[in-house]
Amino acid sequence: MKVRAVKLILTMGILMFSLLSSEPLRAAVVETSLETSQSTDTAPQAQPQVPSENLPNAPSSKTAPSIEDLGIPQEQTVGSPKEQALLDQRTHMLKIHQRLGLITAVPLIATVLASADAGGKATSSTGRDVHMVLGATTAGMYFTTAYFAIRAPKISGTESRGPIRLHKALAWIHGPGMILTPILGAMAYSQKSNGEKVHGIASAHGAVAVVTAGAYGAALLSVSLKF
Amino acid sequence: MNARTLISLFFLLALAQIAAAADSQWILQQNTLTYHVSHPLHQSEGVSHAARGKGVCHEGQCDFLIAVTVKSFDSGDSNRDLHMLQVTRGAQFPMVMVRTRFPEAGTTSGDIRADLEVQFAGQTVRYKQVPLQLLRQGNESRISGTIPATLSDFKIDPPSLLTMPVKNEIPVKVEMTWHQQ
Repeated sequence: MKVRAVKLILTMGILMFSLLSSEPLRAAVVETSLETSQSTDTAPQAQPQVPSENLPNAPSSKTAPSIEDLGIPQEQTVGSPKEQALLDQRTHMLKIHQRLGLITAVPLIATVLASADAGGKATSSTGRDVHMVLGATTAGMYFTTAYFAIRAPKISGTESRGPIRLHKALAWIHGPGMILTPILGAMAYSQKSNGEKVHGIASAHGAVAVVTAGAYGAALLSVSLKF
Repeated sequence: MNARTLISLFFLLALAQIAAAADSQWILQQNTLTYHVSHPLHQSEGVSHAARGKGVCHEGQCDFLIAVTVKSFDSGDSNRDLHMLQVTRGAQFPMVMVRTRFPEAGTTSGDIRADLEVQFAGQTVRYKQVPLQLLRQGNESRISGTIPATLSDFKIDPPSLLTMPVKNEIPVKVEMTWHQQ
């Protein structure tokens, strides 16, 4: 009886051992999804595939690690639709800011070009009127453009880094410049209309306008070109 | 050989088998993940060193999971990073997760090809046969390669600057050092 029991245990043991050692069986159980390769020339190119189901290809086994195993704080792994909406709104407003900023450059350049015909001794001239209308259009569009940047939602905990810092810094030049230039322009226009020579602070209109236009152009380039 | 010796021998062999099939783990020690974006006026890169990863080997098969937060990528331009976060829906889907599995025997040095499953921006995409270089040094393995990701794979609208969109290709360069425990 004792010998029979020993024989039975041994038979089962040998059977289990042979099963565990069986390479073909293990190979069938273990699905190989990676191949070692020395030659990359003949190997197929990596191809993306959208899986038919949202199940990971790996965790067919119960031992596959999960996101919890990585020790990442839960607040970092959970999405926030509210924050996403804020980012969407921010991007939307800054896209409008970008487009309007580009469009504003057109009347700005036209105003600078029209300034050549804005002088003269005459009390009124078409060139001066065109320059004034273009200037007013530029100012109007500029402040609309600025509105979308100023009112775009701020994302807390974000420190400005990179070219955007220069872009923002230049706003401290072209912003006041865009307020000052039309005021000085209006003063100069008034003086000319009264048959006076442009004098006083109004005589700074041209210089302020050049600095303003230069800062505006630099602000535009600062976020467009890498340097 | 008596019965007791045979039984002992059997249990020893069985233990050896169990030991061979026992779990071993890999922990991601160091990593550098770099995405590359091309624009007619810009070439920009965003880098993250914040990935965490774990690999579990069981019965000769290793399952790996690597995860990194989208907002951990730094391009040196906070405005670009926030815009990247927005277009990739990074606030709603804050994690990028990569899963792969391969045989434990495949963790030796050489060129390898891995099937990667990438979860990003609310989409799951599989990249088959991604070429990677593996360098094994003792208990450490260094893996490097590039995931040929594209914006369209993850249904991301290409962001544009000055009305010009960026290229669809956003290859992600991967450099990782794993430690076996």
